[in-house]
Amino acid sequence: MSIQDPNVLIDCRGLQVGYDGVAMLPPIEVDVHRGVFCVVVGRNGSGKSTWFKTVLGLIPPVSGQVMHAPGLKVAYIPQRLHYDPIYPLTAINVVRMGALNGFNFWGSSGLDYDELKLAMDAVDVWKLRDQSFRSLSEGQKQRVLFARALVSRPEVAFMDEPTSAMDVVAEREMLSLVDRVRRDRKMAVVMVTHELSVAAEYAEQVIFVDRTSRTVLAGTPREVLGHEQFARLYGQEKAHELLVELDHFQRRKAGGPHT
Amino acid sequence: MNPAETPTPTLQEFLDSWDLFRDPVITGMLAGVLLGYLGVYIVLRRTVFVSAAVSQASALGVSLVFLLDMYEWIPHALAEPVAGALVCALLAMGFFTFNPERMRLTREGLLGLGYLFGSAGAVMAGDRITQEAHDIQAVLFGPGVVVRELDFHLTIVTTVLLMGAHLLLKRGLVFTSFDEESARVQGLPVRALNLFLFLSIGVAVAVTTHAIGALSVFAFSVLPAMTALALSGRMNVVFILAPLLGMVAGGGGYLFAFFLRFPVGGSQTFLACVMCGLAMASAVIRRRT
Repeated sequence: MSIQDPNVLIDCRGLQVGYDGVAMLPPIEVDVHRGVFCVVVGRNGSGKSTWFKTVLGLIPPVSGQVMHAPGLKVAYIPQRLHYDPIYPLTAINVVRMGALNGFNFWGSSGLDYDELKLAMDAVDVWKLRDQSFRSLSEGQKQRVLFARALVSRPEVAFMDEPTSAMDVVAEREMLSLVDRVRRDRKMAVVMVTHELSVAAEYAEQVIFVDRTSRTVLAGTPREVLGHEQFARLYGQEKAHELLVELDHFQRRKAGGPHT
Repeated sequence: MNPAETPTPTLQEFLDSWDLFRDPVITGMLAGVLLGYLGVYIVLRRTVFVSAAVSQASALGVSLVFLLDMYEWIPHALAEPVAGALVCALLAMGFFTFNPERMRLTREGLLGLGYLFGSAGAVMAGDRITQEAHDIQAVLFGPGVVVRELDFHLTIVTTVLLMGAHLLLKRGLVFTSFDEESARVQGLPVRALNLFLFLSIGVAVAVTTHAIGALSVFAFSVLPAMTALALSGRMNVVFILAPLLGMVAGGGGYLFAFFLRFPVGGSQTFLACVMCGLAMASAVIRRRT
């Protein structure tokens, strides 16, 4: 079976995720559309990273299917834990890795210098190109990894908790940057986070997973944040607060009056 | 006579006997180049004790070949110590690729087991071997002044082939070592690259263990890379410096041993330690200033 709709990049049908054949969550039916900002939320250990890695092909599904559009270009920005900071790499060394795919790592990178500069300029890290990657702040490291993802001109970028080690200011800057670049490049973003406010402020599609209650909700931010199961888990007050935030951001995006 | 009481050899004596010393000096230098380069991955991947354990497994392989030959369990023509070293090194590398978490153990635990099994086996097998005891000692602690012609040629061929392959695959190997998950997402053949890296370390360690001894092999696969990492924060510079430093330790250690009448393996290791210590001191001073 293949994806028929040219606007659909990833199609999960009856997808069950887990380890060693044991499903953590009920089956999920989700499409990721071209250019969408999709946020995957849930508590720590809720199964959101497992879902994310299954969709990326890093973990086999327990059952169901994950279909990618033919020739889909995927980029991945890992969590802080998944790369080793002791490597003596400069920022530009790290960004160059984004051009490698399949077996094309023989000899020279074949990466155009202008292309490299374009990707690094897009996230404002060109000036850091010769700095040691390990000496950068967490925010700068995530920007460099984002530039690495952009080098391959992906149609969808998967980001695993990209702001987890950042302070509030760096976090806001990073999220605004991701949103701006996503719009400029018409690229879909699938971001895992435990920050519910990200879903209210940036998301066009939200996937909420909770392993304990075996809940999976997928839909628009209003559908998910306003769902009774979501309110039951996080409390009516928190759910209401998020819906108010959502209204505020949607009015702002539409150019309406601020509250 | 106590070595300290004999007159110190002169440079002229060394040069006069160059035909005798040429092969071991070049072998030590090539082993330093190859293991110094591979050591960058060994140190960065935090698998320092892999080379120690594999070199002990190689030593066990050498001892077993002598033992099997002594009891005539294998034809004498097939009793090649390097082949034994290679088989045991590859078996050890295969053992270390097991996922230790499935046995509720850690990677360090597996390495410790491999190291101890190799060491104990080599010592026990060595105890039963009377005729080749000198060769066993050489494998464990470094050879005397000579290197077998076969070891010399094997070291040259192994160094050229493995260095060539590593230079070709360098970008893929660095990416896979640095960020394996992203490399997998980008479709790199991560499993094949990891297998190649482990096999190349196994082969390099097995071949050089018989030529220069387990002590020098462990030293060259760790210390030059550590020295280079302390001296430079640039990956490309580290990949040039580490083999150069390995070469200096291999050749310089031999000269050190000749002029000061020390064992070769200990001298090569000592020189590599001194260089590493100086580089670490310089890194500390640079950070403070």
